[in-house]
Amino acid sequence: MKAIALAALAVVLLAAVVYPFFGTGYGVRSVLQIFMWIALAGSWNLISGLTGYVSFGHVAFFGAGAYTGAILVASLGWPWPLAALAGGLGAVVLAVLIGYPCLRLKGPYFAIAMLGLNEVLRALVSYFEGLTGGGNGLSLPTLDATRPIYYVMGALAVLVTGGAYLIVTSRFGLRLMTIREDELAAEAMGVDTFHHKLLAFVLSSIGPGIAGALTARDQGYIEPISVFPLAITVTMIVMALFGGKGTVWGPVLGAVVLFVVQEIVWARYPYVHPLLFGAIIVAVVLLMPRGMLGLLQVRYRLPRTI
Amino acid sequence: MITAGMIGQVVVSGILSGGLYAMVALGLALIFGVMRVINIAHGPLLMLGAYATFFLYDRLGMNPFLTVPLSMAALFVVGMLLQRSLIFRVVDAPELSSLLLTFGISIALVNLAQLAFTSDLRAVEYITGAWLVGGLALSKPRVIAFAFAAGVTALAFVFLQRTRLGKAIRATSQSREVAMVCGVDVARIHMITFGLASALAAAGGSLLAVIVAIQPEMGQVWTFKSFLVIVLGGAGNYPGALLGGMLLGLVEQLASLFLTTQLSEVVAYVLLVLVLLVRPTGLLGGRQT
Repeated sequence: MKAIALAALAVVLLAAVVYPFFGTGYGVRSVLQIFMWIALAGSWNLISGLTGYVSFGHVAFFGAGAYTGAILVASLGWPWPLAALAGGLGAVVLAVLIGYPCLRLKGPYFAIAMLGLNEVLRALVSYFEGLTGGGNGLSLPTLDATRPIYYVMGALAVLVTGGAYLIVTSRFGLRLMTIREDELAAEAMGVDTFHHKLLAFVLSSIGPGIAGALTARDQGYIEPISVFPLAITVTMIVMALFGGKGTVWGPVLGAVVLFVVQEIVWARYPYVHPLLFGAIIVAVVLLMPRGMLGLLQVRYRLPRTI
Repeated sequence: MITAGMIGQVVVSGILSGGLYAMVALGLALIFGVMRVINIAHGPLLMLGAYATFFLYDRLGMNPFLTVPLSMAALFVVGMLLQRSLIFRVVDAPELSSLLLTFGISIALVNLAQLAFTSDLRAVEYITGAWLVGGLALSKPRVIAFAFAAGVTALAFVFLQRTRLGKAIRATSQSREVAMVCGVDVARIHMITFGLASALAAAGGSLLAVIVAIQPEMGQVWTFKSFLVIVLGGAGNYPGALLGGMLLGLVEQLASLFLTTQLSEVVAYVLLVLVLLVRPTGLLGGRQT
């Protein structure tokens, strides 16, 4: 069973590696998007799925990474791979700044602080016009790098998912899940809950930061509404919830399934899209809190560490 | 150069907007106190209240200030239905469930409003201009809105303090088990509280409709600001919401003296982070209902 799963995984990865040599432009771009959503949903899952602290503003890291990367490329002429790493670092700095005051406390403080963060960053970007171009946006020098970005984004998706596997199967991950189940009990057993939450949060910010910087490079132009939309947060939450929060493969499953459905079916009904996502969140929370993977785990008796 | 007149203006404007903050935040505080649920959809409910006033004014030609009780009654019913159909299922669930559920409801409500009312900016131009009192400019719509907000808030407090139902709500908020033992129908109290809180949000929306432009996404920032008001006043401390509201109004107005209005959201945010760092139990301290 395990051997079959590993073989299937190897085949999928190999197919993803060779795909750009056969696929159409649209196909490659779509797979690139799927990689991005896997990285985003998987990152959200690290903090919210594992510790139970809901982040309503993960797009802030995406946007922060996008602006960090774009400014470094456009103003200082950095090569984009380096700028992408800097985007991840920018997101980490932001995560520490927000996580330090908000994660010391138990309860909904963190969730609400993340809810407001997005608006704040958008206002700051508009305010510091000299650096960010304000509402006019920021253009990057033209460069056709879709194929290398495809591979880097793919590597990011693999790293986030692999990282989630390492965390879920480690003592660190076990402690995070203890915090989710009962934070007081975790503290009583000697878990330093604050630093565990903070570390999980910081780790969860890296993926969106890098993905943001890569997206900025790929699109060549960013503006506040394109990199800070609430819709990105909503989409990553829906994907992680739908696939199964707190699992390794849930966000991957959710990202792939929902992205494909979105492209094929919902693209025809753009106006009701948010309504559907809101309804999915409500339905998943009430009817299948462990998501699709949770249902599969129960039916096929799969281990809980996948 | 900052003059005494400017300071006076800041204080007056701060108190005027603080009255609205206090009333809307009281709703969020009630739900949190009674059910331990932070209702992310509180702001979108406020937005629905604003639309109720807009349509009553625009289609039926009603005086917008007289639509306040109607919009409150409508949203009272909507709130009770929401609680009865969805929210009650997550009252005892982990926080993650109630936050995500109300977040999903909030997304759905905003999108429904976009579909039903379009994203066009709407305005209720009923009264404009300002009264000049001793060198201070008092915006007419804001003064009247403040008076209504103060009245509604006062009624809400009288209701909570004096009536049997209000006492049952406070009792449930202090200890659900003891309230149950004393014969309080807690499920019913939860439903009524949610309706009442939605009505308070609706009143905020109706009064805001006279002051600012209405659009489907106007509400979301109010969830955040209401929560900030609760944190400032101390969670579970209902009179604290009044102080918190005034304080937020004053700080925002004061900041507008030194910074562009663009940054007023940033100021509110920095205030939240500072309070969480220094005094997370709120300025008045913990629970005392």
